[in-house]
Amino acid sequence: MNTIFTVFKKELLDTLRDRRTLLTAILLPALLLPFLMYGITKVTKTMVEKEKAKKLKIAILDSPDDFISRIDTAKFELISGMDLEKGRDQILSDSLDALMAFANGYTKAIANNQTGNVNVWYKSTNLSVRDKMTTLIEDYEEGILDQRIVDLGLSKSAIDPIEMRRYDIAPKKEQIGKMAGGFLPYLFIIFCFMGCMYPALDLITGEKERGTIETLLTVPASRFSILMGKVITIALIGLASAGMTILGLFVAIKFMPDIPADFLEALGNIVNTKFVIMLFAMLIPLSIFFAGSLSAIVVGAKSFKEAQSIATPLSFIVIIPAALALTPGIELNWTTAMIPILNMALATKEIVAGTIQNGHYIVIVLSLIVLAILAVLISFRQFSKEGMVLK
Amino acid sequence: MIQVENVSKQYKLNKKQKKELKTTASSINAVNGISFECQPGRVFSLLGPNGAGKTTTLRMMSTILTPTNGDIKICGQSVTQNPTEVRRKIGFLTGSTNLYDRLNPEEIVKYFASLYGMDDKVFKERKEMLFDQMGIHEFSKKRIGQMSTGMKQKVSIARSMIHDPDVVIFDEPTSGLDVITAHNIIELIRDCKNAGKTVIFSSHIMSEVDLLCDDLAIIAKGDLVYQGTMDSFRQENSGISLTEAFIQTVDRNSTTHA
Repeated sequence: MNTIFTVFKKELLDTLRDRRTLLTAILLPALLLPFLMYGITKVTKTMVEKEKAKKLKIAILDSPDDFISRIDTAKFELISGMDLEKGRDQILSDSLDALMAFANGYTKAIANNQTGNVNVWYKSTNLSVRDKMTTLIEDYEEGILDQRIVDLGLSKSAIDPIEMRRYDIAPKKEQIGKMAGGFLPYLFIIFCFMGCMYPALDLITGEKERGTIETLLTVPASRFSILMGKVITIALIGLASAGMTILGLFVAIKFMPDIPADFLEALGNIVNTKFVIMLFAMLIPLSIFFAGSLSAIVVGAKSFKEAQSIATPLSFIVIIPAALALTPGIELNWTTAMIPILNMALATKEIVAGTIQNGHYIVIVLSLIVLAILAVLISFRQFSKEGMVLK
Repeated sequence: MIQVENVSKQYKLNKKQKKELKTTASSINAVNGISFECQPGRVFSLLGPNGAGKTTTLRMMSTILTPTNGDIKICGQSVTQNPTEVRRKIGFLTGSTNLYDRLNPEEIVKYFASLYGMDDKVFKERKEMLFDQMGIHEFSKKRIGQMSTGMKQKVSIARSMIHDPDVVIFDEPTSGLDVITAHNIIELIRDCKNAGKTVIFSSHIMSEVDLLCDDLAIIAKGDLVYQGTMDSFRQENSGISLTEAFIQTVDRNSTTHA
């Protein structure tokens, strides 16, 4: 026990003095989400506003008079003196946004209660042009429709027999659970793994590469204690990374502008002591599992580089079950509760939503603990092999 | 006191290694049933060309590797039966003076003292003495990463001597060091001898051997090819330099083997 603590203390000091670890395992996960969320909302917001404010340059051919007079000149700039060919060329060269032409016989068709054709040319690469043109026509069409209803002696309700009213009674908590609940574990599981990876390379392979392992093995301390001291350090850094991701998310939400008050309130209800305890009860064995398996895998590598090339692809294996939890239709049940990583992601979703069943939760925590123990034992077996430890 | 009793070390070969060595054998012997003894208060030198099995032998002595056959007793304790007891008695130092770059000498020496389970008071006295002796105090708060090889070497020595071991094992301790830095090691070996410790070191630098050594053994391709005192080795090879004598001894035995 004493040895484990001695090794742990030294490895933690050593790791925390490493700027690369601090940056990738602590700072990056803490800052990534706030920056990303702030950046994305800011960019989308300005983009949307810009699009909204933009005045479309359009040309209209053979228009009925009542249509032209309806056009809001704050939103559209009418270009005159255009023909089909010229208009299309100008759209392609971006000097015109859209060209609208009322087809031959349009006025006649409308007068006879038939369908008239309107052709619109535009570029789909210019977002929102199509929508704006559609709205323009639909508004006009509604006026014609209203007139026809009156002419036929009908009422508006006669052609709209059913009106459906929807009431969403899902608690805000559950809605957030479905939304953020899938995304949140995806992020912290990955960061937990990445957080474990660098220290594992440094404390296991690094020690071998530097040759310091040799002297370490000549001290009267059991190899198991030495390994445990290392694994605990690795797991702790992974845990810190995951914790930082969660912290970063809440900081981001707290300081983000334009978040509805009821959303914030619901979020406040979710993040309580119980949530944090339930989450960390899963995260602790998970990080030990990551630390143990990474140690077992990189112990055979001869150099830092080799270890890196073995460990990096593993992050994809971790991402797959975490991403699966984002797929609609995959729910927590007795089968998914047994699949590591996926079970944790699904459980987090349900904990956030407040719908987790105690049985499922206990099975998940226990299975993660069993996995963690197995990973540590396997890494110990690897660590005890002469050929593995020495260069 | 070190007693090496008919020790062998066999390495299993994997497919890749078999290909590299162009052999179909499933294992190779790095050390082939060698025996010798090192006495307290004397310096024992283990000589041999690269790949002869020196490092493997010293690693077996320091319990990093387990012998396939035979046994080694350090102060009466067997490396196979009581490795933990053996570890308490030995100080181990290799030529590759690697330490933890982000720690300072104080922290490194303290770390090893804790791993040896040393009492705090004893540790402090011992550390002061070693740091005084080698002048480590002036850079005791500096990180290893910022130190010169000479400074690192001194810290390595302090680290391996902190628990005042009865037996010291040095694996090519001066390799890669300049003359001045290597001198620290030579002084250390002398001090250990004068303190009545058992010292064994491996080398292929004959001037060092000549300077320090009381007894010697030469190994080649895992076999013991010479064992005796330094004096008798000198007498048997009078007229030629020690380096020549060493080369001839190794050559004679590898040709008879082939």
